[in-house]
Amino acid sequence: MTFVVNLLRGLMNERPGIKDMLGLAARLILGGVFVYAGFLKAVAPAEEFAYAIETYRVVPQNLALLLALTVPWLEIYLGVFLIAGLSGRLSALLTGAMVIGFEGLLLQAALRHLPVTSCGCFGASKSNSLGYELLQNLLLLGLAAAAFRHGKKISLDALMEDHENHE
Amino acid sequence: MTVRKTLRKLLVAAILVFLSTLGTLLCRQFSIGPERPSPAFRSFGPADARIRIYEFTDFACPACGAANTHMKNLLAAYKDSVRLNFKHYPLSSIHLWSFDAAASADCAGRQGKFTEYADLLFENREKWAFAKEKPKEFMEYAKTLNLDLPAFEKCADDEAVLRQIRLDVAEGDVRGVNSTPTFFVNGKRAVGSGQLLDQAKLFDNFLKE
Repeated sequence: MTFVVNLLRGLMNERPGIKDMLGLAARLILGGVFVYAGFLKAVAPAEEFAYAIETYRVVPQNLALLLALTVPWLEIYLGVFLIAGLSGRLSALLTGAMVIGFEGLLLQAALRHLPVTSCGCFGASKSNSLGYELLQNLLLLGLAAAAFRHGKKISLDALMEDHENHE
Repeated sequence: MTVRKTLRKLLVAAILVFLSTLGTLLCRQFSIGPERPSPAFRSFGPADARIRIYEFTDFACPACGAANTHMKNLLAAYKDSVRLNFKHYPLSSIHLWSFDAAASADCAGRQGKFTEYADLLFENREKWAFAKEKPKEFMEYAKTLNLDLPAFEKCADDEAVLRQIRLDVAEGDVRGVNSTPTFFVNGKRAVGSGQLLDQAKLFDNFLKE
């Protein structure tokens, strides 16, 4: 009960600056995008995403299915952690690393002129051109950097720290 | 203090993971998420219909043949209000040629004759379903319907066609289909013709709302 009271008190006492607000927005947008992307894939058959992974011709078929089974859940969890601001810097770092990985996959597909009809980014029901996805990932990378640097305020991390100080 | 802090963080992380997993699995169970329409040649009825039916069928299953007739009657009776997405769910472990039948039907569909080919498969199920070698009937039905035979034969081995059927099966698995025919009427499950017709009795009231 004390913990909850302290959390609420922490929220009320927050006086975030512009950078903090930007960091918070970055966390919410990036986290939301990751939760959305992961959800679309997690509620669909894993084979669908596995086929998308196969078209990048980087991993063998059995590994593609394993990745298709795990990546969506990772996206969801990292997205939720980012939104909540739990281990915010680590979550932003891991999210950024995933985005760099996705960017690398897209880039090699573009350079090799692979016939990628669905990038698999948001499941198979929706797909944009490789160029569009490359640009979108750059934007996500920027958000990850902002979340990493300025995403501490109005987060579970901050509230838990505040709670520790009151104990 | 640090250990306590770490444990607290782990506990909160575990709660978040649990809740997000539960939420996603519930959405999956209740088919909440984007629709996965069938290819145009096996989608019937207006795209904006208020009643949306997903049918998972195996051409070698006798109950599916009976359901096919009921579904045709429903589509005729509610032609402006029902949209049917036909999905393949060949039970390959018990019906040896179901998967090939589904591929053949899709190949006929690519030439604009899915319904006619599917009818032939359902009507003559006993002739091909128990064959020991690949049934010659698949090609015969293509001839009967005046399909482009070389294109039909090539299509039956086309990886894109086979992949589409495998995806239908995977989708059925995700939605918990384990017998055929299984229908999802506006997301609500109906197994077999009886349950489908039970739901169909409510269509008039639903459309009046």
